[in-house]
Amino acid sequence: MSITAVCVLQAIADGFQYGFDIIDQTQLPSGTIYPALGRLERDGFVKSAWENEQDAHADGRPARRYYKLTAPGVKALADAAAFYRSLLPAGKPRAARG
Amino acid sequence: MLRWCDLVLRAAAPMVPYDLRRDWLREWRAEFAFTAARAARLNKPMPIASLPRALGAIVHAAWLRWDRWRIEMIWQDIKHAFRTLKARPGFTAVTVLTLAIGIGGTTAIFGAVNAVLLRPLPYPDPDQLVRVYKSSLKSPGTIGGTVSPPDFADWRRQSASFVELAASASDSLALTGMGDAEQVPAGDVTGGFFAVMGTAPLYGRAITTADDPVGGRDVVVLSHAIWVRRFGSNPSIVGQQLVFDGVSREVIGVMPPGFQYPLRSEIWVPLRFSARDLETQRGAHYIDVIGRLKPDVELPRAREDMAAIGAQLARDFPSTNRDHSASVYPLREAMVSNVRQSMFVLLGAVGLVLVIVCVNIAGLVMIRALGRGRELAVRVAMGAGRTTLVRSLLIESLVLGLTGGAAGLVLAYWATTGIASLDPSIGVPLLNQTRLDTVVIAFASGIAVLASVVFGTMPAWQASGIGDVVTRIREEGGSTTSDPKRQRMRGLLIVAETTLAVVLLVGAGLLARSFSRLLSVDLGFTADAVQTFNISLPDSRYASPLQRQAFVETLLTRVAANPNVESAAAVFGLPLSNFRYGISTSTRDGIVLTDDEQDGLTLQVRLVTPDYFKTMGIPVLKGRGFSAGDRLGTQRVVMLNQTGATRVWPDQDPMGHQLELGTRLGLGGARAGGTVVGIAGDVRDYGPSARVAPTIYLAHAQWPDGSMSVVAKARDGDPSSLVQTMRTVLQDLDRDVPMSSVRSMGQLTSAAVAQPRLYLVLIAAFAGTAMLLSAIGLYGVLAYAVGQRTREIGIRLALGARRGEVLRMVMIQAGRLAIAGVVIGLGAAAIASRALRSQLFQIAPTDTLTYAMVGGGLLIVALVASWIPARRASRIDPLAALRHD
Repeated sequence: MSITAVCVLQAIADGFQYGFDIIDQTQLPSGTIYPALGRLERDGFVKSAWENEQDAHADGRPARRYYKLTAPGVKALADAAAFYRSLLPAGKPRAARG
Repeated sequence: MLRWCDLVLRAAAPMVPYDLRRDWLREWRAEFAFTAARAARLNKPMPIASLPRALGAIVHAAWLRWDRWRIEMIWQDIKHAFRTLKARPGFTAVTVLTLAIGIGGTTAIFGAVNAVLLRPLPYPDPDQLVRVYKSSLKSPGTIGGTVSPPDFADWRRQSASFVELAASASDSLALTGMGDAEQVPAGDVTGGFFAVMGTAPLYGRAITTADDPVGGRDVVVLSHAIWVRRFGSNPSIVGQQLVFDGVSREVIGVMPPGFQYPLRSEIWVPLRFSARDLETQRGAHYIDVIGRLKPDVELPRAREDMAAIGAQLARDFPSTNRDHSASVYPLREAMVSNVRQSMFVLLGAVGLVLVIVCVNIAGLVMIRALGRGRELAVRVAMGAGRTTLVRSLLIESLVLGLTGGAAGLVLAYWATTGIASLDPSIGVPLLNQTRLDTVVIAFASGIAVLASVVFGTMPAWQASGIGDVVTRIREEGGSTTSDPKRQRMRGLLIVAETTLAVVLLVGAGLLARSFSRLLSVDLGFTADAVQTFNISLPDSRYASPLQRQAFVETLLTRVAANPNVESAAAVFGLPLSNFRYGISTSTRDGIVLTDDEQDGLTLQVRLVTPDYFKTMGIPVLKGRGFSAGDRLGTQRVVMLNQTGATRVWPDQDPMGHQLELGTRLGLGGARAGGTVVGIAGDVRDYGPSARVAPTIYLAHAQWPDGSMSVVAKARDGDPSSLVQTMRTVLQDLDRDVPMSSVRSMGQLTSAAVAQPRLYLVLIAAFAGTAMLLSAIGLYGVLAYAVGQRTREIGIRLALGARRGEVLRMVMIQAGRLAIAGVVIGLGAAAIASRALRSQLFQIAPTDTLTYAMVGGGLLIVALVASWIPARRASRIDPLAALRHD
């Protein structure tokens, strides 16, 4: 699984569920994030839905699409994160996620 | 800002597949609206970073388009391809079948090449395994050279490059005491052998250096094959006693399946050297040495190391080691060096067939694509782009290619099974390991895809070059002649195909002529009716030469008593059995020869009984053959073959002269030799293409040996009818002496040319296929061209052209293509046939007759192939033709 996909999954897992929120969180360009979301959804790691119309209207804007992890997505994220961690030199502090 | 972003979204939206477009726009717009709302809440303008973010929407849209295109369109193309191919079953069947032949043949030969040359040897870390030879400095680069025990011992002690060095010798022992006695191929090995090979036994233990000292326990290690075949895979065989050659040996281990070295060994027993052997046998070269390099030692260093030791031994023991060194070769290279080139030539030949197949199918696909011009033009008119068309045609080719590949794999499976079960006498090591493994299957899939791309791309591009759709539709509707550019392309394909076919045919022709010369070589004996088998008397029960002589004499007398036996004899060193026993001449007429003279006068030693020459049909040219009177205690007599006679006494008649060999044989260890009483005709002991070796014949009764080949000539001309009698006679004499290597001289003669025969059959099959394919290709192209020109020819005929002229016109068109192909092909063959040089016998790679026959033959085939379309053209009815389409 690519680094981008892991970043996206991790962002969603951290509660950043909307496209632009994920972009802000990962600092990756929108042209990268949306195709990545498309692939993850196609592969069954995330699924999307529309937020409640009434809530959105109350906020004076249209409803946004949000993404959430599926069970395979949760497992894939755990596996991939473990793999990428194993590549880090032992004993060195890992970069903390914000 | 929001407006700008919306503008970008609207511009990108058409790229998004229609069914996704609404949701796509909704999502992006909602995000931008949210960003704007959030900014408004904070009384800030919408961030400037929103614009580049909007540009990302273009990428997203493009990605969605590509993703859709990838999944759905390709799937549609595949379905479309299947539909199209199903609609034209004839075309599909021919294409798949030719592809199957091309891919199947290439895969099968690659399977053999993979087994023999590429796949790692079935031992751990095979790259560390090497053979060490005692090599002559006079012929550098020659791989081979057996080693004497003292040299081996010195190498092992002094070298620093090896984990271990071990010696082995091929042997054959009689397994007795359990039903019918059986002669079992054995490897005599020193204690380091299994450590060198790195393979642990399946059960029990292997032979180790603890087994090396003379007087150690008699033990045996079984191969997996014999353990399954003779002992029913019973693990408790370990620890039991078995009798080999009259010696009871304890089974100490069973090797895992597939372990086999020296090749064909079914058991291993210790090879031991006494202190005396190591002192006196420096000139006795009969062992093979194999070693495992230390992990940090590279081949060049090992070579330097051994060369230095070899040089030191040459200084220390000049009489045996002068001009000799020790050379190191990787085990694989040592095993297959003599077949490497022919394997690659075969792979090249079958690869050419595959190329011809591709060219042929390219022609077919191209013709068909042109026939579909209207369909393609309509697709272009409806908006299909060049890439869409190319993709669609390529996928059609891929479907064809992969179907052909699958069928080819079935053919290859069948062929590799056949190759693996070929008789080992063909002499290609590891060939029996040929199988369809993942590498071979990957190769087949690879070439299937490659072939599809090769035969698919060209026609696809050509067909898609449809500039003006209207012109195209009009052209397809009413053209009078076909497009000269396309015509030229098809012509080029035919020329290429013919060229390749000529190259293969020349190769096959050269091999055929060479093979017929091989068959016409006089081997020096006439033994079509002779049956042979081997016996090996165990030393334990036939220790004395008198016992051996008595056994052989009684055996021969009883065999000869059969009314169908015309004569019977025995020989130590049967012709064509690849038997080598060369000993240097030490004295000539009592004068001790110098070292150089001795080396130059190495004679092949053969021990024979009196009726040998008569039974084998070898003429005695001068003097007499051996008689029953030449026995132990009488004057020692020898015979020479003609080559040996001229070698030893170049300027004199050898009759009555004396010579002695540098070895002691038989009773009392006298030096072998005696007075020359006869000259026999030359026999080609090592096959028709090998040189005649100078040979000395000794009377078996004077030098009795226990390892003999019995030869018996059948009166009725059918040697196989003697086998049962021989078996009964032998069993009556001694049940525990097995009959081994039962074969007729006819079989041996046939086996001697088995390798060139197989080679010829394969190349000829490839060449035949190539010729057939190019004939079909030529026919197809002409038939199509005639079809395309029906209208034109009709007009010509209507305007008064004679039918003969039309016929000639088409034939000339075909003739031009064929001649171009043949001329280029003959030139290419003159270059390519050099690769065959080592396979050719008494034929030059540029043999004029072969080239002329191939060139002429292929032209005739081409004319025959073009005759049918040409005749069809000449019979066109002008009225019907003008109504055509």
